[in-house]
Amino acid sequence: MEALKDIDLQINQGEFVGIMGPSGSGKSTLLHMLALLDDVTAGTIIVDGTDVERLSSIQKTHFRLTKFGYVFQEYALLPELNALENVCLPLMMLGAPAREYRRAAMEMMETVGLSKRAKHLISQMSGGEQQRVAIARALVNHSRILFADEPCANLDTKNSGIVMNLLRRLCDEREQTIIMVTHEPEHMQFADRIIWIKDGMIEKEEKPG
Amino acid sequence: MKTPFGDRFNLPELGNDLRVAFFLVFKAITRGNKYTLVLTILVTTLAFINIIFTSSIMNGAISKAYQQAQENYVSNIVILPAIDDKYISQVRQLKTSIDTLPGVISCSSRYSQSGLIRYDPEKDNLDVREKAWTIKSFNPEEEIKVTSLQNYMIAGRYLEEGDRDQVIMGREISGGYGASFQISSLKGAKVGEEISITYGNGVKRDYKIKGIYNTYFPLADLNVFITEKEMESVLGLHNRASEVLIKTDGSVPERVYIDRLRTMGIEQEQINVWMDFIGYISGLTQTFDIVKNIVTFIGLLVAGVTIFIVIFIATVNRRRQIGILKAIGMKERIIILSYILQAAFYAFLGIVAGLIFIHIGLVPYFIRNPLPMPIGLVSLALVRSDMAVAIISMLLVSVVAGFIPSWMVTRQNIIKAIWG
Repeated sequence: MEALKDIDLQINQGEFVGIMGPSGSGKSTLLHMLALLDDVTAGTIIVDGTDVERLSSIQKTHFRLTKFGYVFQEYALLPELNALENVCLPLMMLGAPAREYRRAAMEMMETVGLSKRAKHLISQMSGGEQQRVAIARALVNHSRILFADEPCANLDTKNSGIVMNLLRRLCDEREQTIIMVTHEPEHMQFADRIIWIKDGMIEKEEKPG
Repeated sequence: MKTPFGDRFNLPELGNDLRVAFFLVFKAITRGNKYTLVLTILVTTLAFINIIFTSSIMNGAISKAYQQAQENYVSNIVILPAIDDKYISQVRQLKTSIDTLPGVISCSSRYSQSGLIRYDPEKDNLDVREKAWTIKSFNPEEEIKVTSLQNYMIAGRYLEEGDRDQVIMGREISGGYGASFQISSLKGAKVGEEISITYGNGVKRDYKIKGIYNTYFPLADLNVFITEKEMESVLGLHNRASEVLIKTDGSVPERVYIDRLRTMGIEQEQINVWMDFIGYISGLTQTFDIVKNIVTFIGLLVAGVTIFIVIFIATVNRRRQIGILKAIGMKERIIILSYILQAAFYAFLGIVAGLIFIHIGLVPYFIRNPLPMPIGLVSLALVRSDMAVAIISMLLVSVVAGFIPSWMVTRQNIIKAIWG
């Protein structure tokens, strides 16, 4: 069964791309393939001039650590770590000295507006706060691309607004490339470009507003 | 270089991976479920104690048997007559020479003679108990420097040099005082009662039971002793012996003395060390070793399976989390290392808790309350090599128990791990 076919897509640095489509259309599959979470059976994905499908499993892991950031719909944070420690994790994996990764993580916590909640355990934080911690973790290693898989699916309207505004601000201020899957029409306004997927194919592309 | 983790072997990278793994383990343990932690450590502690306790009891039994053989049975070295002779001659001169050997504490000569012991408790010939045994003799002043029977008197007193019409006997021959082999004994002979002995040469003498000893060592407790002077008068011999027992200070192995004694001029007589007299205990040692190995294996299996289950449940419950860690770029080997370290930590704490309990609980308890066994009162004997093997095995088992479930989960596809 072909989940995706004839996908020809170019995303530029600093662009905020939203992927939309009905359930089962293949939008999540496309995101997983672009994010190197799932294997591509045919075709190529080029990131920063690298044909990522030619990378070994170990190289893909390193690629994900250094180039990509992820935000999942269920926050996906480690419950045994506090917010700051969760954000430190990617830098620790890269071998940064303790003082450096703590400083960088704290800066990211300030960027997402949670510096005062840095020492709190994940279980002591609201859904919106957890998602902002996940965004801080995804960006602390200066990842080139942030992948967000329905980041507001479990959030109320107020927290959804906070998270989407944060993503937009990061895109504007840091030229952060963001690829986000969503099925919420109200999130379209935050993206630079919307790609509509239907039956595994790109149905149309449009600029919001 | 390929490793079980499927990665290149790179020391600085491995060092950093270990740092991250340690960080994750530390947080998982300090902020994880305390009840799971305590229960897991409790089970590993019990498994470790079980391994050490069983091997220590068996080591204690073997060591007790060896100690008994040396203290109460044959001392360290035994000189027996030449194969064609019945007695060793010129015994006094021989003992004087032996006493000059470096490392020799003392020696004692004994006669052995078969005899029929007759015990008639009511002296009415209605309930006569007769048994044939080997009757032995010693010079009490010499003997107390070589064996410790005088310390095991449970009734009456030890022999003195001038005693001529008195005997001491082991509890197993008297048949009283809680003897184990009552059927083949005198069935209840007591201190102060009279017996008669008809020796193999036809001489018959009457004796009073002066004392009864109990070492708990059957080979020692199945003896009847009279004084050397009395035996020489029975046999009509002088300055001879059926055996000479030599006690050494243990500074060199007993076998070394065989050459020294030969050099000294003891050429025809048979020279044996104490181990030669307890062949059955050597067989027992081999059996104990097999049992020890089986118990150790089962103990390790229990500890390993427990840790495996704990880690397996943890990894299955965190399958999604492990998928996410892989998604954000965490190497499989960091995840596996973190679970191996966690398992090793459980085992380490189990070992430490076990060692503390053994040293401050079990060992002092069994010193105060030794177990009565057929070879004596047995305490725990902690053997360093056995403990080292148990500790290393326990840690290795925990590493395997941590590796297998975490390896199984990390092999899963990221998407399947996250979304099932």
